[in-house]
Amino acid sequence: MIEMTGNPTAGIKTTGIGTEETMAEIKAPAQPVVVTQIAPARMTLNEVRAKLDGKTGRRFWKNLDELADTPAFHELMAEEFPRQSTEWVDAVSRRGFLKVMGASLALAGLAGCTKQPDEPIYPYIKQPEDLVLGKPMFFATAYPFPTGAIPVLVKSDSFRPIKVDGNPEHPMSKGKSDAFTQATLLDLYDPDRSQHVLHRGEVSSWGQFQQAFAAAAKKSSGGQGIYILSETITSPTLAAQWKQVQAAYPQAKMVQWEPVNQDSSRAASKAAFGSYADAQYKLEEADVILSLDADFLGGIGHPGFLSLASGYAERHRYEEGKTMNRLYVVETMPTVTGFKAEHRLGLKPSDIAGFALALANGSAPQGADSEQQKFFAALSSDLKNSGGKCVVIPGEQASPAVHAAAYALNSSLGAVGKTVIYTETVNPLPSEQMADLKSLVADINASKVQWLVMLGVNPIYSAPSDLLFPDAFAKVPVTVQLASHVDETGSISNWHINKAHYLESWSDARAYDGTITIIQPMIDPMYGGKSAHDVLQAVLDNPQASAYDAVLANAKTYIKGDFAAGWRKALHDGWVEGTAFTAKAGGSGKSAVASFPQTPSKGLEVSFRPDPSIYDGRFANVGWMQELPKQVTNLSWDNAAIMSINTMADLKLEESDPVKVSFNGREFIAPALMVPGHPDGAITVHLGFGRGVEAGRVAQGVGFDAYQVRTSDGSLFVSGVTAQKVPGTYELCITKVHNIEHRGSFAQHDLEKPLSDKEGVYSLAGHEAMERSIIRYATVDEVKKNPNFAHEGGASGTLIDKVGYSPQGEKVPHDNSFFPDAWRYDKQDPSTLKIQNAWGMAIDLNSCIGCNACIVSCYAENNIPVVGREQVKVGRNMQWLRIDTYFEGDLHAPKAHFQPMACQHCENAGCEQVCPVGATVHTPEGLNTMVYNRCVGTRYCSNNCPYKVRRFNFLLYSDYETESLKFMRNPDVTVRSRGVMEKCSYCVQRIEAVKIVADKENREIRDGEIVTACQQACPTSAITFGNINDKASKVAKLKAEERDYQVLADLNFRPRTTYTAGVINPNAELA
Amino acid sequence: MAQVFDRSSNALARFSLVLTGVIVIALGVTLDQLQRSPWVTRQGQRPDQPIPFSHKHHVEGLGLQCQYCHTQVEKAAYAGIPPTKTCINCHAQIWTNADLLEPVRQSWATGASIQWIRVHDLPDYVYFNHEIHVNKGIGCASCHGRVDEMPLMYQQNTLQMEWCLNCHRNPAVNLRPTSEIYNMAWAGPSSEKPVWCTSTVKGGATAQNVSCTTTDPTGKAPEVAMLQMSAEANGPTSSDVPPLGITMPASYQKFTSQIDLGKYLTTQYHIRNPEQLSSCETCHR
Repeated sequence: MIEMTGNPTAGIKTTGIGTEETMAEIKAPAQPVVVTQIAPARMTLNEVRAKLDGKTGRRFWKNLDELADTPAFHELMAEEFPRQSTEWVDAVSRRGFLKVMGASLALAGLAGCTKQPDEPIYPYIKQPEDLVLGKPMFFATAYPFPTGAIPVLVKSDSFRPIKVDGNPEHPMSKGKSDAFTQATLLDLYDPDRSQHVLHRGEVSSWGQFQQAFAAAAKKSSGGQGIYILSETITSPTLAAQWKQVQAAYPQAKMVQWEPVNQDSSRAASKAAFGSYADAQYKLEEADVILSLDADFLGGIGHPGFLSLASGYAERHRYEEGKTMNRLYVVETMPTVTGFKAEHRLGLKPSDIAGFALALANGSAPQGADSEQQKFFAALSSDLKNSGGKCVVIPGEQASPAVHAAAYALNSSLGAVGKTVIYTETVNPLPSEQMADLKSLVADINASKVQWLVMLGVNPIYSAPSDLLFPDAFAKVPVTVQLASHVDETGSISNWHINKAHYLESWSDARAYDGTITIIQPMIDPMYGGKSAHDVLQAVLDNPQASAYDAVLANAKTYIKGDFAAGWRKALHDGWVEGTAFTAKAGGSGKSAVASFPQTPSKGLEVSFRPDPSIYDGRFANVGWMQELPKQVTNLSWDNAAIMSINTMADLKLEESDPVKVSFNGREFIAPALMVPGHPDGAITVHLGFGRGVEAGRVAQGVGFDAYQVRTSDGSLFVSGVTAQKVPGTYELCITKVHNIEHRGSFAQHDLEKPLSDKEGVYSLAGHEAMERSIIRYATVDEVKKNPNFAHEGGASGTLIDKVGYSPQGEKVPHDNSFFPDAWRYDKQDPSTLKIQNAWGMAIDLNSCIGCNACIVSCYAENNIPVVGREQVKVGRNMQWLRIDTYFEGDLHAPKAHFQPMACQHCENAGCEQVCPVGATVHTPEGLNTMVYNRCVGTRYCSNNCPYKVRRFNFLLYSDYETESLKFMRNPDVTVRSRGVMEKCSYCVQRIEAVKIVADKENREIRDGEIVTACQQACPTSAITFGNINDKASKVAKLKAEERDYQVLADLNFRPRTTYTAGVINPNAELA
Repeated sequence: MAQVFDRSSNALARFSLVLTGVIVIALGVTLDQLQRSPWVTRQGQRPDQPIPFSHKHHVEGLGLQCQYCHTQVEKAAYAGIPPTKTCINCHAQIWTNADLLEPVRQSWATGASIQWIRVHDLPDYVYFNHEIHVNKGIGCASCHGRVDEMPLMYQQNTLQMEWCLNCHRNPAVNLRPTSEIYNMAWAGPSSEKPVWCTSTVKGGATAQNVSCTTTDPTGKAPEVAMLQMSAEANGPTSSDVPPLGITMPASYQKFTSQIDLGKYLTTQYHIRNPEQLSSCETCHR
């Protein structure tokens, strides 16, 4: 505890900001009101623009409100958990509260007078031989995703899958995973999953469907009139089965279609190579990376995310003697990839193709302003000078022209063979899906379709609106849908077949590098679901053959050598050796740039994107994903019409105003949201929302449905859209402001603020981030000059010698304390002379790409509840880990920094000192633990936490009722009840498990033996955990680096989590 | 006007004050006692089980080893309740028609579990682990009592937190050689029945580190009884250094009191210190 030298009140008087007014406002609360949301302290555009006009430079900020620094924002920040206490002040709510309390008191009384009920034990009849109850088992399988399978290792407790993580032995994924893959666990246990085969809405059976389907196929002439509309086929076995079906029924047709697909890449590769091809990038080899609207750091929506992210991070780490890579991004919607880039250019969707083609042709882009010209020139010379150690990555949602330009560029820059190879496609039956769907609809309208069998697709919801799919659908005599939910399509189909989850079924799939993984079931289908293999098998000679038989038969084509051994090895390892793709002959293909003419841009454009959290809607009923604050925007439970501040002004909108977007007579109404860095003249909307009750209890009624305006020709973006404000307001659910509190504003309002605030752009979080150096980074040149930049003024533009706290939020010397001998963690074990363990974490800000995988992993590992939209709006979301996004600089072209923030496990923790019941205490190894049973819910600890990482169960958020969710819980972690504080525990259950193993074997815990859930998921290995007392451990070495710093170190809380300051490698020409 | 209160009211008032105090204290004591009473802790209670299984008969009478049924006690947090198959192993041959065993035959025939009632039932927020206790020298009987003398299973101890902490704060009072873990009658060394122990200097797992015997080893090869331990546990470890003070492999040390033996084993088994053992996260997470 150091003394605060600043006079708490002195600061207020010297500030020019409305602090005094703010205080006055707080002092005079009017009538208590029930607030059902955090008032977002609405800025008006004029206010913001007045504040920001012409202001650039190194200024950090988290959201516009605090950038604008309105009094309303300060008021909001003065509250601990914004706007929650008022709920109980309201008379009506209080009565409700007393009622609830009365009930629980009565219960408490009863509990005191009766004994706990007897707990039964149900032993096995015959226990499986290899089962040791309480010890998890791990099985390898893969999550089939249209852009390539994600190889996973599933943790299984008594044969219930309880955690999905990357397969560490797989050559491509190397044990890493992503948010979607992590979330498939909750998808499996989704209580709204379809549980029966339905025929005309009545419960039927699989056998009856099999008979009906086989009879229909037999009756047809060679399969005439039988159409299969499948989601993208990822399984070689399914492709083989389809070939068998084709052989038996040559007239049967198969159409693959998904609303979010890879048509652009397919079209461009066909033009360039004559056949469909996939690209594989080796970012480990690339010095310069250009992304053309490719969000390759955002998630597995981009093919090869795991490989690309780890390759990028590997070369983006700053180490002596290593050349750092440099990333350029040209994109519309600001993504995490864009914000990780050294240089980002925001362009309208139609302009991206022009830019790309200009780059490929070597001519200047037409109609570009000077800034774009400068970017273009610097980029093209940088690419050329890299000597082929560069790569151009086109986005799957960019137009075919962009892909063609990327092929041409990679070829002309000499990257092909070095950083990129072209291979056959990961999906066994590649096609151009939109064209196929169009011809299917034409066939339906021509009454050619008798049976429409839909495998895993939901076209009623997601088909392009101009195809009028629902009308066509009504014309088909028999419709069949295989799906996990009785969704929009399933509820009006003749047959609905409940689909088995991938964790329940046999299949196979290829990963990004082409390696085949055999998908094996982890659990017996919970509702007897069937897979696409079963549906196709129904019309073949041997309809009773299972998916297992089909996979086994097909595996003989790719498992080399002794089959029985090879099969066992493939199942054990999770991949089949020797199935990776090699580069296609024909090298770089011919330039197809000319075959894709540019579409001229006219008027306002709308770009359609898969949602970063729920993709095309497939995770819409997964609460974890809905609640997860989205990348960049931090939207939760919502989607929005995302635009720039100028576009908002042009449309005369304020943030949260509903805006009606119409195109060719179709329209949707969406709330407007400003995202810094979005190009003008364009609106980005995310797909997958606006579902009906069919979609499930979580998905229904969330957001708006952007599919309504999407057409078959404009599935990527449309131009010539009109948008206008409609009356009303819609408060978006954004989590950004939740964790900012008025830390220091009263106590330490910086005396020297006027000095540092010459430009008049003052923001609270900016003040925090910069002057207290929450975010520290430097350019490569700066680091070379001053390797210790993170601890000395200058690099972050920081003033030193401020009053009130030590310079740059610097660490306080250990003996600068009333209790110099407290918090020592160097005790020796008398018998072994070993120094005790002291757990700590280091997070590399250079590697963190803000992809959210860690948060979803934490959800699964720690039984974190989902609270719902209304609760998130009042700041009660329960994620133990959040990723803070700090924007910096110009509103139109900002930089951003991602900082994962969870409990810092302070050695001198403020939370512990204020807990009246000792519910949060320190362990001898330095963990700051929560003892849930002691917690009485005063929330003092959260109040006193400067990092705002504690989460409180205001209501009973954990679901104790739903049967299917009980299977999912991690048995090693308590499911918390109402009124209990919780927070990151450094995965104490994993620490204890490893300790038991090590103690049993009488040895020290090895470095790297304990892996926290977030660390395990992180695709870029940004998180390192270990024993900081072991100087040889990875984490201790990281902490010894000069760039390592503690956040808010000057408070002397001595956090155990430290951050490695970022280093960026900007192009001097663009600096 | 006459006094409303008589003089005797004073005494009454004083007495009622005292009485209030007594009642408050009595209430406190009662609640405290109630909390610790077998009625709440279920100490010593025998619930109605579907089969009146007698540990006494099977362990003392027939000499079955604990692990014949509780197979995973050394390997996992749960000791394991035997599957019906374990009962049927013998009862397909003997007592095949006994009425008492009807539930077993039912279970075997129908595939439905025998529904036992849990005797040792810890709250769900306690993460007790058998594996580490058994491997670090806490015998079955230390917590479960003389199971071999229980015709019907009951809970010997309160299983309350204070009872756990009694040992976690001073494990030496209960530590025994790992070779004696399943010895129900183990009473600790005394001057009549001393115990000799030596370090094997093998390194590796706890159980293989120390060899103890209850017969005087001088002059003859010591009888070395070991806890079962898989060989794979012998990975490279950093604790191969022999502990201080004991360097002679064959030098047996004689112990005549539990405290001495406990202290010796605490060192030998590398039992974590009381501070760590009684830290919250050891049992709650």
